[in-house]
Amino acid sequence: MDLLSQILVNGLLLGGLYAVMALGLALVWGVLNIVNLAHGAFIMLGGYLSWYLFTVAHVDPFLGLPITAVVMFGLGYVLQRGLLNLVVRAPMFNTLLITFGLEVVITYLAQLAFSADFRTINPPYAGGSWQIGPVALPIARFVAFCVAIALTLGMWVFLLRTRLGRAIRATAQNLVAARLYGVEPRHLYAVTFGLGIGLAGAAGGLYGTVSQVNPYIGAALTAKSFAISIIGGLDNPLGVLVGGLFLGIIESLTTLYIGPTFADVASFGILLLVLIVRPSGLLGKTA
Amino acid sequence: MTKTSLFLSGFAALSTLALANAAAAQDIVLGASVQLTGPVANTGRYYRDAYQLAIDKINAAGGVKVAGKPAKLVLKLYDNQSDVNLSVRQYTQLVSQDKVNLLLGPFASNFALADSAVSEKYQVPMVQGGGASDQIFARSFKYIFGTLAPASDYYASTIAMLAVLKPAPRTVALLYADDAFDVSVADGTRPLLKKAGLDTVMDERYSTNATDFNSLLSQIKSKNADVVLVAGHETEILNFVRQAKSLAASPKMYSFTVGVPSEDFRKALGKDADYAYGMTAWLPSTALKDRWFGDAQAFATEYKAKFGYEPDYHAASGAADVETLVMAIEAAGSTDPKKVRDEIAKVHFPSLYGPIAFTAHGQIDLPQVVIQVQGPDLVEVYGATGFVKQPKYPMPAWTAR
Repeated sequence: MDLLSQILVNGLLLGGLYAVMALGLALVWGVLNIVNLAHGAFIMLGGYLSWYLFTVAHVDPFLGLPITAVVMFGLGYVLQRGLLNLVVRAPMFNTLLITFGLEVVITYLAQLAFSADFRTINPPYAGGSWQIGPVALPIARFVAFCVAIALTLGMWVFLLRTRLGRAIRATAQNLVAARLYGVEPRHLYAVTFGLGIGLAGAAGGLYGTVSQVNPYIGAALTAKSFAISIIGGLDNPLGVLVGGLFLGIIESLTTLYIGPTFADVASFGILLLVLIVRPSGLLGKTA
Repeated sequence: MTKTSLFLSGFAALSTLALANAAAAQDIVLGASVQLTGPVANTGRYYRDAYQLAIDKINAAGGVKVAGKPAKLVLKLYDNQSDVNLSVRQYTQLVSQDKVNLLLGPFASNFALADSAVSEKYQVPMVQGGGASDQIFARSFKYIFGTLAPASDYYASTIAMLAVLKPAPRTVALLYADDAFDVSVADGTRPLLKKAGLDTVMDERYSTNATDFNSLLSQIKSKNADVVLVAGHETEILNFVRQAKSLAASPKMYSFTVGVPSEDFRKALGKDADYAYGMTAWLPSTALKDRWFGDAQAFATEYKAKFGYEPDYHAASGAADVETLVMAIEAAGSTDPKKVRDEIAKVHFPSLYGPIAFTAHGQIDLPQVVIQVQGPDLVEVYGATGFVKQPKYPMPAWTAR
């Protein structure tokens, strides 16, 4: 019983990290209809940025997250404005190609710039844990989990309640009507992509604090984010949160009861199941 | 400059480079495909750097004497981007189009396993220092030789040490990744554990590139495993140690097949690398004499000065591969692949890496010593003659460090 409760806590915390990784991908996908294959590469860049902030400028990795997010937002904005806006209305195949190219370029530039060495963001308190009854609660993972919840709720409120958020949703739903109401789509697309990349950057900072960063972590993170987005649904950030938590818990339980090599089988099996039974995601609106 | 002229000048630069690389007729070209980019690039670089350093050193000492005439060595190296399929294509290209004389190996067992099919097919010997899996040598191939100690023996010295540690450990958890090398390690370790009378409470295979070890660590904690043996890759082991700390999981000892001997691994973990055990078949000692470098210590110093990081056993093994080919060419008095192959099978010489000689299967047989991170130092704790330096055992709780 003690083991099971520990495993459930592990799964929940892992799920929170998954959610924040997928949040940006789902936003960009839902609003711009771009499946950003470079998403994981941006997470990786965010990890490096946080690592430099921590080791060179001695900024606490959690306090440094806003800086990472803002810098990455800027990068995302510029990329969308200068590059992706050119293809945003082209068939999906084109955007897949261009984001795939971006991922390759970013990954190899990262190896040139940072070498293939591993980096870990390791503030003295981050490795510790709180003991609550029989369960150990890892501090860094718990804080990452809280940040994930806060970002998800923040995104949800932003999209639902703010003028900019409404404009983003309006553009996603009906471009013509949105333009009639004075929405400037090119700027809005860039803001959305910037937000997605900013979230990826923040996720990278969190990832570096609990795991390790090297230039090649991106592709696997993109795949994971992709699965979570589909499981949770693209309609709202809460879906991504539910998808992430669900996947985290399922993977942890599979490792315990069936075996660690089956964790990926379970997650992609669930992905298939969701696509068959609820194609718009667990929290998605049924068509 | 217009785009076209930029392209043309780039093209021109590339072709001059190609010309400069083209070997003179009497040169001996050694071909290899190594991971210079991609997920295992940080280990692949050991081979690129070791090959180049050994070749430069041998050339500076007058090169290779082939039937009395000196010849220079040239390295023809491709980057396989950590992709096994690409590596097989590149080896095929090396032997069929580039017509290299002899082959050096890639890093990692799954690569050597696939690439050795090429050397076998074209009957060009490959001496590789990057694949330890017993599977590579279990197929009676005649053209593959390996200078890493057999994977199945990796934990032999560690388990011998467990028998004499106090308080005596009783329970063991064995975790391993699902690839050629790590499966061989696990297969070799199981009977050793049984023979030592240790109780294996966990025996789990996990997916290569797994990042989450929390569930496994929670089980290790709840089953109270005294000893944890992990056969995996550096990224996995980094995550394992970090997560062990965050879950306050501290068995009496843990030991890893990779990572501990590598400087960048220890650097990435910082203080958390303390107490971790590993094994190595090589330490830069002055006792290992070498025809070209003098001894292993001199090799390590020269390597570090040239490349800016410390060599570990991968690098020493790679340098020994070049030396093996040179010794065999000189003995054969020719670069004919078949003649060289027969001489490689017979070599017996001291090197910076240790005594080089191959079993009938083509693999070296080197004992591994147990090493441990103790504070800032990497310490040899247990070898063939027993304890070298006292291991720090048992590992203290994370909160007591």
